Amino acid sequence: MQDVTQMKTTAPPTPGAKAVDIESYFAIQQFLFFEAGLLDRRDYGNWLTLLTDDVSYRVLAYVNRDADVGPLAYALIDEPVSRLKARVEQVLNAKLTHAENPPTLTRRFISNIVAAAGERAGEYVVSSNLLVYRTRPGLSEGALYAGQRTDILRHVETAWRIARREVRLDQSVLQGSISTLF
Amino acid sequence: MQEARVSNGGWVDSAQGVVSREAFVSDDVYRLELARIFEKGWVFLAHETEIPMPGDYVVRTLGKAPVIVIRNRDASIKAMLNSCRHRGAKLCRSDAGNTARFVCPYHGWTYEQDGRLITTTFDAHMPVGMDFSRWGLIPVARLGTYRGLVFGSWDPDAAELETYLGDFRWYIDCFLGRTPAGMQVLAPPHRWRVKANWKIGALNFIGDSQHVFTTHVGPTTLNPLRSSRSGFTKVAERSVQIITTGGHGCTLSYLAPGMSEDAYRTHDPGLTAIYATMLTPAQMHVLHHIRVAVGNVFPNLSFIETQAGSGQKALIVRQWHPLSGSEMEILSWVLAEKEAPEAYKAEVLNSGFHNFGAAGVFEQDDVELWASATQAADNAIAQQYPYSFHTGLPLINSPIPDYEGPGRAFRPVLAEVIQFEFMRHWDRMMTAS
Repeated sequence: MQDVTQMKTTAPPTPGAKAVDIESYFAIQQFLFFEAGLLDRRDYGNWLTLLTDDVSYRVLAYVNRDADVGPLAYALIDEPVSRLKARVEQVLNAKLTHAENPPTLTRRFISNIVAAAGERAGEYVVSSNLLVYRTRPGLSEGALYAGQRTDILRHVETAWRIARREVRLDQSVLQGSISTLF
Repeated sequence: MQEARVSNGGWVDSAQGVVSREAFVSDDVYRLELARIFEKGWVFLAHETEIPMPGDYVVRTLGKAPVIVIRNRDASIKAMLNSCRHRGAKLCRSDAGNTARFVCPYHGWTYEQDGRLITTTFDAHMPVGMDFSRWGLIPVARLGTYRGLVFGSWDPDAAELETYLGDFRWYIDCFLGRTPAGMQVLAPPHRWRVKANWKIGALNFIGDSQHVFTTHVGPTTLNPLRSSRSGFTKVAERSVQIITTGGHGCTLSYLAPGMSEDAYRTHDPGLTAIYATMLTPAQMHVLHHIRVAVGNVFPNLSFIETQAGSGQKALIVRQWHPLSGSEMEILSWVLAEKEAPEAYKAEVLNSGFHNFGAAGVFEQDDVELWASATQAADNAIAQQYPYSFHTGLPLINSPIPDYEGPGRAFRPVLAEVIQFEFMRHWDRMMTAS
């Protein structure tokens, strides 16, 4: 079986190693909050513009294993930007989606942000915690998804872009399908 | 007003072509299903390639009972209740791993990989003549493997697995037995919960051809490879649905008229060359002419092979595990031939979970509508009015006389024949005296 933990992953930054200045940290934090707001408002069109053309976008979950070997991460989503655009096209067209019609109500909480300089100039490795609460109309209970993000953010001129995103959800059995969760 | 159940005490009215909604939501029905189906017949547990090495195990659920499925030192596979015979703690509290033996974390009872009790740690305090051979882990009564699929049954008197699968093995072979080395699971299964009855999933995969263009309006509209609705209707005329003894069935969607007669254009050419070494000419003929195949092994093991959306053709095996009358856990595996090149396997895995995983683009609209149907049936008023399977009736006694595979085959696939046959088989299991 493919051991996905052997796949190339981006290690979360170590504080102090290549610490960023407070202005950069603040800009990164504001960018992540802004991005979360776009997603919560389902403004996926503008959200897509925050991704680089070569973005690597992955969502992982875990197989629970004994403590000596630890949890095994495996991919739920591993997509280029073209497939993300196709997902967005589907869920933003009311005639083409049942899963998002009526729309899911979603609230993201981004915290525990740690940022460090990346390997290339203008790049930052940023880890953060993610908590998403989603409510599907018609279902009385919402679903919670918690996880850790490790992003590579690129500072291009005056704008910030996401060059890599890896989300590790702290779950082995998901509360529901995540087809329309970005 | 109609009663929730029909006159024979079951839920399916064969003459009227209707099924009680109660069957799709009631916890009483779920408890009866546990006793009559999930603790009685053969139920899928794992694929043998999930546990390739001695000591490898996965923990699954058989009926409602947690079960360890483990590869032994002699390469055989064993399965037993994941609960110590002493005071019942779980031997394995992880979902998967590798172990030389089972040591209960509670008081230390220790078992071999095959479940035999080695020591209780306090053997000296046991009564004289204590028979350890009677205090091994509780075995799954029957265990069988077919084409890598490991099934278990809690019924010691269950028929042999090959007998249970019967003629449907012919179709299983087409997808899981077509190369000498067989198929392998490419990654751990995606697992997610859906607030819907498990039978809706089984019906969907045995062959709900009517839902494709309404439920999946998004991917079918956006995908440039997809045929039009009128084109799909033509395909449906040519396609075939098959039900075999035991309630197993599949729907084989044939290539559209005028479409290149090359169903393998997205398969690895090195693989397709060896299919003929394993399959009969009739099976090869079927494989050559179908574009999409879906099926369900009774009760809750489904498969789909399709080139859905943009991407590689992929084989997905899917289990609809009931948690109650109104909720299930879906487990979804992606498989490829062991002989396939690694790059091909990676493409299959990626395409498979893009379309049919926990984040699958086809998945999203299915589960939304299944949950809505389940929720709307969870009341006494709705349960007075049955579900319609009427389109199954006109054809149900008119199978194609000369179909090349076993079982009873029907055309076109837009009639709900084998979905209704699945429900009739389920009803017989549920009402048998």
